[in-house]
Amino acid sequence: MKTEAIPYTNKNMRRNPFREGGWGGRVLLWIFLLATALLILFPIVVTLFGSFMSNAELTTGGAILPSVWHFENFAEAWVQANFSRFTWNSLMLSGVTTIGTLIVASMAAYVVDRMNFPGKALFVAIQASTMFISIGAVVIRPQYELMIKLHLHTSLWGVILILISGHAYIFFILLSFLKGISRELDEAARIDGCSNAGIFWKIILPLLRPGLGVGALFTFCGAWNEYLRPLVFTMNTPELQTLTVGLSYLRYGASAAVQTHYMLAGACLSILPLLIVYMIANKSFMQMTAGSLKG
Amino acid sequence: MYKKIGTVVLSVFLAVALAACGNSSNNAGNEATNKPAESDAATAPASNEKKTKIVYWTGDRHDMDYIKEVIQSFNDTNDSNIEVEMVVKTDDYNQAIDLAFASGQAPDLLRVKENTIQAYVTKGYLAPIDDLMTEKMKQEFPLIQDFNQIGGKVYSLPNYGSTLRLVYNKELFAKAGIASPPKSLAEMVDAAKKITEVGKADGAYGFALNFKSPDSAFGRSARVIAEVSGIGGFGYDFKTARFDFTGFKDIIQAYKQMYDDGSTLPGMEALDIDPLRAQFAEGKIGMYISFSSEPGVYKNQFPAKIEWAAAPVPSIDGTIKGVSSFVGGQWLAINSSSKNQEAAWKFMEYMYADEILKTYHEKGFGISMVPSISAVASKPDINGIEGFLPTENDGTWPLNPTVTVEGIKSNDAFFKYMLGEGNLDEIIKDLNTRYNAALDKAIASGEVKAEPKPDFDPMKLGAK
Amino acid sequence: MNKVRQIGFSYAFLFPSFILTLVLGIYPLGWAIRYMFYDYKGYGEAKFTGFYNFQRLLRDTQYWESVVNTFVYAGGKLIITIPLCLALAVILNQKLKGRNFLRAIYFMPTIISSAVMAVVFFIIFNSYNGILNQYLMKFNIISERIDWLGPKHAMMTTILIAVWGAVGNYMLLFLAGLQNIPNDVYESASLDGANKRQQFWYLTIPMLGPVLQIVIMLAIINSLKGYETIMVLTEGGPIGKTEVMYLYVYKLFFPTPSSGTVVDQQFGYGSAVGFTTAVIVGIITLLYHMLSKRLNKMQ
Repeated sequence: MKTEAIPYTNKNMRRNPFREGGWGGRVLLWIFLLATALLILFPIVVTLFGSFMSNAELTTGGAILPSVWHFENFAEAWVQANFSRFTWNSLMLSGVTTIGTLIVASMAAYVVDRMNFPGKALFVAIQASTMFISIGAVVIRPQYELMIKLHLHTSLWGVILILISGHAYIFFILLSFLKGISRELDEAARIDGCSNAGIFWKIILPLLRPGLGVGALFTFCGAWNEYLRPLVFTMNTPELQTLTVGLSYLRYGASAAVQTHYMLAGACLSILPLLIVYMIANKSFMQMTAGSLKG
Repeated sequence: MYKKIGTVVLSVFLAVALAACGNSSNNAGNEATNKPAESDAATAPASNEKKTKIVYWTGDRHDMDYIKEVIQSFNDTNDSNIEVEMVVKTDDYNQAIDLAFASGQAPDLLRVKENTIQAYVTKGYLAPIDDLMTEKMKQEFPLIQDFNQIGGKVYSLPNYGSTLRLVYNKELFAKAGIASPPKSLAEMVDAAKKITEVGKADGAYGFALNFKSPDSAFGRSARVIAEVSGIGGFGYDFKTARFDFTGFKDIIQAYKQMYDDGSTLPGMEALDIDPLRAQFAEGKIGMYISFSSEPGVYKNQFPAKIEWAAAPVPSIDGTIKGVSSFVGGQWLAINSSSKNQEAAWKFMEYMYADEILKTYHEKGFGISMVPSISAVASKPDINGIEGFLPTENDGTWPLNPTVTVEGIKSNDAFFKYMLGEGNLDEIIKDLNTRYNAALDKAIASGEVKAEPKPDFDPMKLGAK
Repeated sequence: MNKVRQIGFSYAFLFPSFILTLVLGIYPLGWAIRYMFYDYKGYGEAKFTGFYNFQRLLRDTQYWESVVNTFVYAGGKLIITIPLCLALAVILNQKLKGRNFLRAIYFMPTIISSAVMAVVFFIIFNSYNGILNQYLMKFNIISERIDWLGPKHAMMTTILIAVWGAVGNYMLLFLAGLQNIPNDVYESASLDGANKRQQFWYLTIPMLGPVLQIVIMLAIINSLKGYETIMVLTEGGPIGKTEVMYLYVYKLFFPTPSSGTVVDQQFGYGSAVGFTTAVIVGIITLLYHMLSKRLNKMQ
């Protein structure tokens, strides 16, 4: 580290502040970072403040800060969307889906990247095709009819299986990360007498942590925000509904207009669990704290 | 060996999954006694084995609290040991219904609407109720062709309906020196211009509609202007049994005139109905045309800061040649495959009792479509509803045939013209050609029957 | 190692993925797609109509306009998102005060429901009294309202919103990809006197190669497929200016019910359009795949 820092101070500082490592560069860097952060944050701030407004003020628009702070929006959203119960259902649905997806996708990605077997190209092609042949909600009907045959249509298990089956995206992400992991390591392990499965568990999975972390995060958020399938599968078992389904109850109330203020309050509440999941997943990117590039 | 480890991995996964599964089902079991507010209407002790449980699905949320009360009292008082559970669905109600019927999960009773009942009958979802209705019911409830009576059989009965009116800001009208709401298109264009002249400095404009969805905007405005001018609101001429959009020419041109004059709210192209209402409540919009759900919105959600009222919509030239749409005619219907049809009918009969429908109207959940109710019920307790109450010029137009048109829809084409693309005569000619081609095709395949009714009189429609 | 054993092992490991994809992914797609040769309304009898749906598709100018729109939308989104995310990832991979905080901020758009954000973006961008126009006028940057959601600018606005929603995703993917690059590579490079720009082009980019390639592929597919935010914000309007392919398909299957007209589901035609759209996305993915392979070889 020290060896790196010295040449910069010697060479660049005196000449031009905007050369790399100079204070000018650092200022520009921070301007860029903060400007981006502001642009990203602004709509979220509008959401947060909006969730404290009355529906009239919010829908009329024009203001950022509420004129009167309606804290009761959150209480109302909490009750109307049945938060405490539905959050648990959502956690369970998203958690199991995430674990399942990561296991299924990482096993497939491992053999596709490291092994040779007939039909590999076909398998990859099938996975890719599930990603771009998407006609959205239409497939729910056959999926639902299948789950009726399996007697899984009144629980979240049907939803979980369907969500895990949509693992192509994570499969490709993990595949890309596997390509970046040197094969020398598995060769060495193999010479030491490690089996294929052993290599997968002991070598590959630990090195795949960043990819698994990102994959987990995406899967979890995806499952958390899944709306139509949980809705359909809990048609007759309302006690199993997920938070996203519950949030949709906030849309309409006593009259024809949408209760936008409750929707925003509900959205703010439902972000919290996801932020916690993000914090946990973020640890997997933290493993190399010694920065690769210094600023 | 390797396979074995593979299966070990799988079984570990399954074990995790099963553990979670057990967890969840326990949880469901524990919490089933404590059902969410949305789903249950009754927590009456279910000790009696003979209790018949029936399920009712609705997409209505505006009347939820009242209907819950009604169901609770039904559950407490009915002597047939019937327990009704109400499930309130949201946006995807129609989709859920289709899936539920496809899979044998459908409720015993369901809410049907003016644009779903026909398809549900065709799909075989609904049971006819002709034989169940009492004499009194037959006299009391109007039967409306295509909206509750389909193919000669009755499937539902009316409760409430929606009328369409011009909603206007009295203060802006006074400020602009306009004495009364417009009766013709020319007056409407003129009023919009005058209001904008006096209001623009404060950000107020003469006219607005929710053109984010042209279907929704024209479907609540141009449609009813055409109707009171004696023209089918969706371009279908019931006299000749052909599509003919020629009658829309003046209406669309008037809209374009207002848009070109700058008399419409800026950004109307992307406006949804709620932001429109919110601006109206703030006094920024002179007038718009909408359904009778508006007074409820200004009472509950967007408290109006201005004096406003509702008036009959203008006609093309100021003379009334047809009735203004009174949309509705159906409410509950029974699932044809339900095992508890008898119990379902008992509940349905209860729901259609005079007292319940009367209260429904008086509480302002919807304007009653049942003459014997509206005759005795007092005015709903909502400011602004007076202007929406049905008059002798409100009636229900027959259903226009559903056809699958190739190419751009009429409303999208009209909106394009409003924003300055194309020639209106050519657009109308093209629409007529394509809509009639689609109609011919639907007739040929037997999906649609379209017979000319030379004596069709748009002034004498609906059941009164 | 024994080849047969390797193959057996591979199949065992692939089995869960394969069976789930086949049963819950491919079969339902086939179920829906088979209607592309039929006239089917979602219920009742499906009438075989041969290639009629495809003939109709060829003369359906609205669809082909939506294809062009999709390319503009996807292209605009990718051109901004990928370099921006790469830059953010490289910067936030350094030792930097508050980088965890910044990462969390950039990631936040990913976790908020797009339906809710569409409402908020209307509050920001609407022409009449949107927050953006108000502040631009307050500070005298503009004198006339800009119609951000009007026919002229709606596409640009939707692209900006799409970028906003995607930054966190791709930044994280790149960030995770950067973790695969060992530190010592950079250390030895800087000892050799390579400056930061050189390190980026000659070390970071090649070593990020596999991740970069696949992430760009996923980004292409995603941006060609995305329609949810557009659906809530503009419904494809005004006058079709933000209509994209999959939104068009969605509307054929699930038309918005409007009062007075009976909902007209077009399952048959929707399947034909959906299939054609999938082929278009497939061809583009394939082209990209070939291109990136060739670039690989050139290096």
